[in-house]
Amino acid sequence: MDAILTYVVNVISLGGTYALLALGLAVVFSVLRLINFAHGELMTLAGYTLLAGIVLGVPFWAAVIAAVVVGGIAAVIMETTAFRPVRNANPATLLMTSFAVAMLLQVIFQNFISARGQAVPVPSMFTGSIPIGNAQISIIQAISIVASLASLIVLKLFFDRSRWGWAIRAAADDFETVRLMGYRASRLIAVAFLISGLLAGIAGVLWVMQRGSVDPLMGLKPVLAAFVVVVIGGLGSLPGAVIGGYILAGIEIALQTWLPESFIPYRDALTFVLVVVVLSLFPNGLFGKRIAEKV
Amino acid sequence: MQSLLEVSSLSVSYGGVRAVRDCSLRVEEGEAVALLGPNGAGKSSTLRAIVGLVKSSGDVTFAQESITGLACEKIVSRGLTMVPEGRRLFPQLTIHENLMLGARDRRAGHEVYDDLLDRLPILAERRNQPAGTLSGGEQQQVAVARALMSRPRLLLIDEPSLGLAPTLVDRVYELLGELKAQGLSMLIVEQEVIRVLNFADRAYAMANGTIELSGTSEELKNSDDVKNFYLGTET
Repeated sequence: MDAILTYVVNVISLGGTYALLALGLAVVFSVLRLINFAHGELMTLAGYTLLAGIVLGVPFWAAVIAAVVVGGIAAVIMETTAFRPVRNANPATLLMTSFAVAMLLQVIFQNFISARGQAVPVPSMFTGSIPIGNAQISIIQAISIVASLASLIVLKLFFDRSRWGWAIRAAADDFETVRLMGYRASRLIAVAFLISGLLAGIAGVLWVMQRGSVDPLMGLKPVLAAFVVVVIGGLGSLPGAVIGGYILAGIEIALQTWLPESFIPYRDALTFVLVVVVLSLFPNGLFGKRIAEKV
Repeated sequence: MQSLLEVSSLSVSYGGVRAVRDCSLRVEEGEAVALLGPNGAGKSSTLRAIVGLVKSSGDVTFAQESITGLACEKIVSRGLTMVPEGRRLFPQLTIHENLMLGARDRRAGHEVYDDLLDRLPILAERRNQPAGTLSGGEQQQVAVARALMSRPRLLLIDEPSLGLAPTLVDRVYELLGELKAQGLSMLIVEQEVIRVLNFADRAYAMANGTIELSGTSEELKNSDDVKNFYLGTET
């Protein structure tokens, strides 16, 4: 029973972070048909901002807010400087641009900060654990669950209640007709990048708090996981990105918890085998539809 | 006095293939004008070029101001909008969300929204239903209503009868008739020649990317060329 409770808590915690990251990718994909592989570097940048805030003696809560805001602003700068000039190029050009931006940022982190990981001292109030029955949940894990769920609820309200939220959901179906409604393409794409960057910032803070460190390649693994999540959920589907996040976390944690020790090195390979099985049953993802060619 | 819309020498090319050549037309304030032609004649490309969705050469003037080369969203904000071919509603959004997306701002949008739902009670009943669950005729009504949300001075409508049963087409033209009576100017692309000629004040007939004929609807209805070419009747 305790093992199941621990499993559920771990899945909700990791799944929430994956969902935030995947939603960031999905929001940009819905307006630009681009999987932004530089998304992970926005996480890393948020992590370094958090570290800088702590080192400079800024209150922890202010450092967290600064990290999230920097994620959002950096995403908008990334869009205007790197992606806007090639917006009408073919999808391969956009994809290569995202790889180039990711590598450029990694090199900047390595050369101007450090190639090695930096410890991020989290305040001692976050280091304990909370007993639930006979199981223990770390405070950071509890914060991660609350923060990711709160972010998802706020985002759901944004997409359901605001005109910009409707416009982004509509753009996933038909960007051209959204422009016919009078929405400026540049502004819509910038809003999508801003949301994506804020989500990467929140995910970055949660990731760093759980790991206790930040390094130049920190964003690589989570962005690959988020990419898998977006594919499982269905490219362009925002609910799919959230559900896919929890599914991937469920698979990963289950394998980590119950896989015999000798099979642990194959954990990632087994995860991807299960993803292949899901995609062979649902070729467009669980909630995806055929992607129409952008005109 | 200048027309509400004046298009001069408009040309549209796709990858070196000219879809529209030297097309010139005008729409006066309060007038309904039809643009006729068979498939591939260049009608939809003409509308898309006027509203800024495709690149074109030539001059387009709307309300005495040049809109040549402006982005689609800037043209729409000046009071010219389009109901695209095939309705192109956002199927996963509700009717309410589809309509409000068409509004210039939330406050002004609510006034037009309430007025439209009074006029189209069927949509009022289903306002929280996803647009993709409506019938074709209802979807066409939502598409027209969505375009009206921005309070346009000129409405471009691409194939309003496409894929609809005759009774539903009647309902759509009834709605367009009410809008015309209120003074809204329209440029309608349509393949149902007789129906649109009975509705419009004037018409242009296109073939192979150029305008071949123009005149009042009565003149075109009685034109041997129109009868031969579009209606398939011998004279």
